[in-house]
Amino acid sequence: MDERLKRLRAADRLRAPQVINALLPTFVAQHGDRLLGDDAALTAGFGRTAENLGLAVLGIDRGTDLVSRRQKNGGALTVPGYRTALRVLQHAAKFQLPVVSLINMPGADASPISERFNQSQAIADLIAAMGQLTVPNLVVFLGEGHSGGALAFANANRIIMLDDSLFNVASPEAVAAILHGQQTVSEAIDLLPMTAADLHQRGLVDTVIDHRQADLVAVINQRIVTAVSELQALSPVELIAQREAKFQAFLAQWPIN
Amino acid sequence: MSHYPKKGVWTTCPACGRHVHTGQWGPWQQCPYCQHWQRLTATQRIQQLVDPDSFQALPTPERPKNQLGFPGYTKRLAQAATTSGLTEAVVTGTATIATWPVMLIVMDSHFMMGTLNTAVTRRMITALDQAQAQRLPVILVTASGGARMQEGLYALVGMNLVLAAVARLATAQLPLITVLTDPTMGGVSASFAFKGDMVLAEAGAKIGFAGPRVIQQTMPVTLPPDFQTAASLYQQGAVDAVVARPALRDKLTTILAAYQCSGVTPRG
Repeated sequence: MDERLKRLRAADRLRAPQVINALLPTFVAQHGDRLLGDDAALTAGFGRTAENLGLAVLGIDRGTDLVSRRQKNGGALTVPGYRTALRVLQHAAKFQLPVVSLINMPGADASPISERFNQSQAIADLIAAMGQLTVPNLVVFLGEGHSGGALAFANANRIIMLDDSLFNVASPEAVAAILHGQQTVSEAIDLLPMTAADLHQRGLVDTVIDHRQADLVAVINQRIVTAVSELQALSPVELIAQREAKFQAFLAQWPIN
Repeated sequence: MSHYPKKGVWTTCPACGRHVHTGQWGPWQQCPYCQHWQRLTATQRIQQLVDPDSFQALPTPERPKNQLGFPGYTKRLAQAATTSGLTEAVVTGTATIATWPVMLIVMDSHFMMGTLNTAVTRRMITALDQAQAQRLPVILVTASGGARMQEGLYALVGMNLVLAAVARLATAQLPLITVLTDPTMGGVSASFAFKGDMVLAEAGAKIGFAGPRVIQQTMPVTLPPDFQTAASLYQQGAVDAVVARPALRDKLTTILAAYQCSGVTPRG
């Protein structure tokens, strides 16, 4: 496997629950979508930072060993996962809690059960709800995030990425696949803008964090708190408009004709 | 003079493999042997749905471009334009359906499998915003394999942006009626397709997120014959109705009459 991908998928990669533990000394977990079930890949809930800032969190991780990776479906969210996230958003809006997503997930779950419960609807509902959220939201890419599932979490006021993480329309493997093996997976990473540096230069990503810092978790959390404080000055209408304007500005880089 | 039949007179049915004469496909483009519905072009679809001569296309200056220099994309765009006669995978415009004024957004799978890219996103947003300005209900006919990978994240963010425009339409209390036709997959399925106030599926259409090939690459599994069909989605409660092609215009007419959206001067 490509060295860059190996790092993102390694067992010792920084995981969302570790960041959440440090971010929220007071933390209450929320589980289940009240309909179909729960998703082990999702760490969801709310709590208080050391500075007494109230936050809601959505963390997605792939697991560290065979057993946990299997439980967590390798970080590919299932329909109950998207639906639980949706519930967390409604709860966050009700109690005025800014929403922080921390993700490291492959593309969407390709399985009959996810199709049976219409993951299209689940993803579409989450994208729409993130976009219309009346409280600030931000996403931190701790590893990779591809396709519509990751996009739902990235429909946010601020996008933060670790410098070696990736964000793309599809996984590098899927990009290589549409080229029928003419390019390797490593080459596919360079075919489209998906690295933190490239996306930051293109204005889609707001903050890039060096992943080699000793106090990485503290740095991530400080950036989260800073971003949330900035966003709290905005009204609900401004927050919704800012999200759309952010993606419009990105689209505007592409010539109309 | 060649004894071969004129080009385009006979086509092979993609479902049963029989050779079908142009005349046999009939006005609804249905295979006379296996009843398979041929995929329509946007032009054919519009013609079947709207009152004669009522369609007025919106200006669409957007053209696709290989801005990221993705291998082979420029060539594929040129081929798509030649074979489809379109400039992009969506056609937008106003029309009347049984005198009800509507905004129509019709995707065309004959242009790069109807994939969502920057140009399609822009055309859709323009149409949705125009619908709001003119107080028109929107009928959105999907036919798409998903986001166009060759345009990377620029294509993917279209899902967010079209949904933002859909949210504005909702604020204006204008209905969005989506008609899911063959195929409706990936990023289109997971964004605006299922966000209609009314979601209709055309009979015979395949609708889903990850297709059978992708699923079977991930896991060795036998999929049921009705997997991701319009009929099975209806049984599972994912869509409001399955509508056969000849009945679609009447179905839309009933829905429009129920909403009573009559354009710039709303009734009642």
